[in-house]
Amino acid sequence: MGKIVAFHSYKGGTGKTLLSVNLAAIYAKRGKSVCLFDLDFRAPSLHATFATDAPECWLNEYLNGTCDIKRTLIDLSQQHGNGGKFYAGLANPTTEAIRDMSAKDRKWEMRALGRLLSLKNSLLNDMHLDYLIFDTSPGLQYSSINAIVSADVVLVVTSLDTSDIKGTQRMTHELYDLFEKKTGILLNKVLTEALTTESQKRNLYERLHNIHTLPILEVIPCFCDILRAGGTQIFAEEKPDHPFTKTLEKIATKIENF
Amino acid sequence: MTYRRPEKSSTQILEKIRESLDRLNEKMDVFIEIQKHNPRGGLDQTIPDVLDVMTLLSLPDHLRKTAVSLCKLGQATAEEVAEQTKRARAVESGYLNQLMLMGYVKKERKGRKAYFYVEKEEKE
Repeated sequence: MGKIVAFHSYKGGTGKTLLSVNLAAIYAKRGKSVCLFDLDFRAPSLHATFATDAPECWLNEYLNGTCDIKRTLIDLSQQHGNGGKFYAGLANPTTEAIRDMSAKDRKWEMRALGRLLSLKNSLLNDMHLDYLIFDTSPGLQYSSINAIVSADVVLVVTSLDTSDIKGTQRMTHELYDLFEKKTGILLNKVLTEALTTESQKRNLYERLHNIHTLPILEVIPCFCDILRAGGTQIFAEEKPDHPFTKTLEKIATKIENF
Repeated sequence: MTYRRPEKSSTQILEKIRESLDRLNEKMDVFIEIQKHNPRGGLDQTIPDVLDVMTLLSLPDHLRKTAVSLCKLGQATAEEVAEQTKRARAVESGYLNQLMLMGYVKKERKGRKAYFYVEKEEKE
């Protein structure tokens, strides 16, 4: 059976969307059937990444119980499949929809959790998807915790920023541990100067092991050309030999065996 | 003394006795849980609440595991939950009944089996 992988972080801007889009592209390139969901209803972004027409239904409508999940899926296999199947489910980016999603009550959130949990049946079992990837909103809020509870693997994207480290430590004890999820840390945007020699790398890993009790899946350097691209390119598709793509390839293999 | 196969009516009576015993067992589980968590007794802990993720976070570990499994299954017997959690059926039956008393889950009986659920699926 396929896996649900959720990208999460304590703070915003850690690179969840960039990593989730590229990971999905790598799995598609490996011939897998993959689906990427934008579950950040407060700041939707995948509609801009893929620049497609509005879907028949947004994920908002699926969670509202007014639309079947299959009608939310956009088939991007022609543009992004590279041999595999690539679907996306988008969050409605209009201000009205964002306002609507932030005003939901607890009963709605409970039903939304049930609907996310049922994706294992509808997408992984029935549609035989290999990977369903959730791009979630940062911090401790309903939509992201719902996504974490529904996922099989949680990837926590973090940086060396002190407030991010403290927040991630707290979330480890107060969230991930409680739901007994397979969770791994991705340290993103690490300055390349800190990774030039083997001893520097060793020191960094030692430091990380002292900070985090969760396994460190990978350390991802900060690449200026990624920043320069400003989210307009999917490196895993367009630059297969780029070190960023190579790092993502390693992450993809680790998740396969996680 | 030779063994005589019971008549059909006797089988039915035995079946009814077994059903009653099963129900009695479940009621006992509920009372044991009430005693454990509310030693002064009483059934005053029946304030209905919503089993959302924030509630799941606030539950003690043993009940959270049961509640998450039931959320995944939608509707399930104590035995089905026990299969997921790898704990004994009687243990899960106790936890599910406790969650029911806390107002987070509901119970419905179909024949001899008791089904627990968070919320009935609506036809859309």
